[in-house]
Amino acid sequence: MKIYIVEDEQMIRLELAKLLESYGYECCYDDDFAHIIDHIFAAKADLILLDINLPYYDGYHICREIRKKSDTPIIIVTSRNNDMDELMSMNLGADDFITKPYNTQILLARIAAVLKRTEAKPATDCIHYKGITVCLGKGSALCGDSEIELTKNEFRILTHLIQKGGQIVSREDLIEELWQSDEFVDDNTLTVNINRLRHKLSEIGADEYINTKRGQGYLV
Amino acid sequence: MKFEYYLKGKIAFLISQSMIMFSFSFLLALLNVSTYAIMLFSFLILFVTVLVIIVEYTHHNKYYNEVYDALYHMEKKHFIAHVIDEPQFGDGRVLYNVLHLATKSMNDEIARYQILEEEYKEYIETWIHEVKIPISCIGLLCENNKSDFSQNIQSEVNRIDSFVEQALFYARSTNIEKDYIIHTIQLADLIRTCVKKHSRQLINAHAEIHIDSLDFKVFSDTKWLDFIIGQILSNSIKYRRQPFILNFFAEEQPNNIILTIEDNGIGIPSNELSKVFEKGFTGENGRVFAKSTGIGLYLCKRLCDKMYLSLTIESIEGEGTKLHITFPKDKSLVMEN
Repeated sequence: MKIYIVEDEQMIRLELAKLLESYGYECCYDDDFAHIIDHIFAAKADLILLDINLPYYDGYHICREIRKKSDTPIIIVTSRNNDMDELMSMNLGADDFITKPYNTQILLARIAAVLKRTEAKPATDCIHYKGITVCLGKGSALCGDSEIELTKNEFRILTHLIQKGGQIVSREDLIEELWQSDEFVDDNTLTVNINRLRHKLSEIGADEYINTKRGQGYLV
Repeated sequence: MKFEYYLKGKIAFLISQSMIMFSFSFLLALLNVSTYAIMLFSFLILFVTVLVIIVEYTHHNKYYNEVYDALYHMEKKHFIAHVIDEPQFGDGRVLYNVLHLATKSMNDEIARYQILEEEYKEYIETWIHEVKIPISCIGLLCENNKSDFSQNIQSEVNRIDSFVEQALFYARSTNIEKDYIIHTIQLADLIRTCVKKHSRQLINAHAEIHIDSLDFKVFSDTKWLDFIIGQILSNSIKYRRQPFILNFFAEEQPNNIILTIEDNGIGIPSNELSKVFEKGFTGENGRVFAKSTGIGLYLCKRLCDKMYLSLTIESIEGEGTKLHITFPKDKSLVMEN
């Protein structure tokens, strides 16, 4: 998945690209705002993150120009949060509107939601890590030939851990990940979910797949 | 206008009339005119004087009564000069002109301050949008370089962000014009979005969230409501007790829908409960448990008032606090004005 970032603050652009890349998106951007529209079309991205306050043309103009020729999903990301801005963005055909400073989990969730909504084919992305495969469309985990059904929460926890494979994920991050999909679990529920998930994974032969790092979180 | 005041103003006229009356009577008496004629003459002068006084008084009194009446019925009294007619008598005309010039100058002054305030508000809004760029940049930097250190920075930046947000809504709440847009809002969606927005702070405070029966539609401005609920949540976090439980539920009444946000925190002493919506009120909790600015709830109340919603509080010290936001079911009640 390729995301084009239209943002004139260099620091934000770099860090945003870094963040999105760590979640498996490919990012591109440009500094030549005088011809930004041509660059956007040339990049053929799957999604565009668009700021409103830009040199040369504002985001609204760019949005309008893109919509004349293409249906690429656009998420407007701006620090202006008037109702007028939001209405205008939606009227010009943007798919979503997020205000800065954003909670990165919310931004990622919105990006995923817009991509899911606009994609014609259902998501069949499968992620493999250390012998375990999770398929985003299915809600189950595979180890070799054995497959096991996971509940929604268990599946989200496992997917997040695998996406962050090799890095320690704190309990807070996991809880936040679940909260983003409207599952407002607390500490205890997370512990229960993790234990069930471990149990299920060992059933399909993946013992000790999730390691506890005392005081820090979990690691796969 | 009191008759007494009027007479005092006419003192010179009355003295001159009586002097005329007495000197002429004296002169006529010297010329041996009969006493009856002198009395008739004096009576005539007296009659004319009283007549003039009464006619003039009625005339003036009628005019000033009209002015008072207009003033009484006016909401913005400084526009009085534009409402009243020009009087037909001399000193009234002078006052009328003075009043006209004075109110004009005052209205100019008011307009000047209105423009100043508007410009200041615009500046604050722009400044806030500018400052949000580095804030979000720091957020991304922390997210990309996770460590205990970056998490501490992030939580301090979150505090800056909430102060900035408060300033933005303070600026908006002072605006005379309404600058909100009423939408149809699903309460459940709104609460979920708010909880997600404050997920970091809530998770770090080990909050247990219960969302029940929120399947209602209300009419309000999403951003304002989002801010109000955010302030309430941050109070609940500040004054929490472990285990920290937050309940969200709504009830339907014949004319209203009442949203309740309930926590099991340290509560508010009953003698302070009536003051929590006052500007600058911090109370015992604000002093003992956490630094409080006394702006949050005051601002919430003000924003609610502007949107024709009611905000009430219930609390038992040591047991918890409930905030109720009452939404009228009738859309026109919030759309009016």
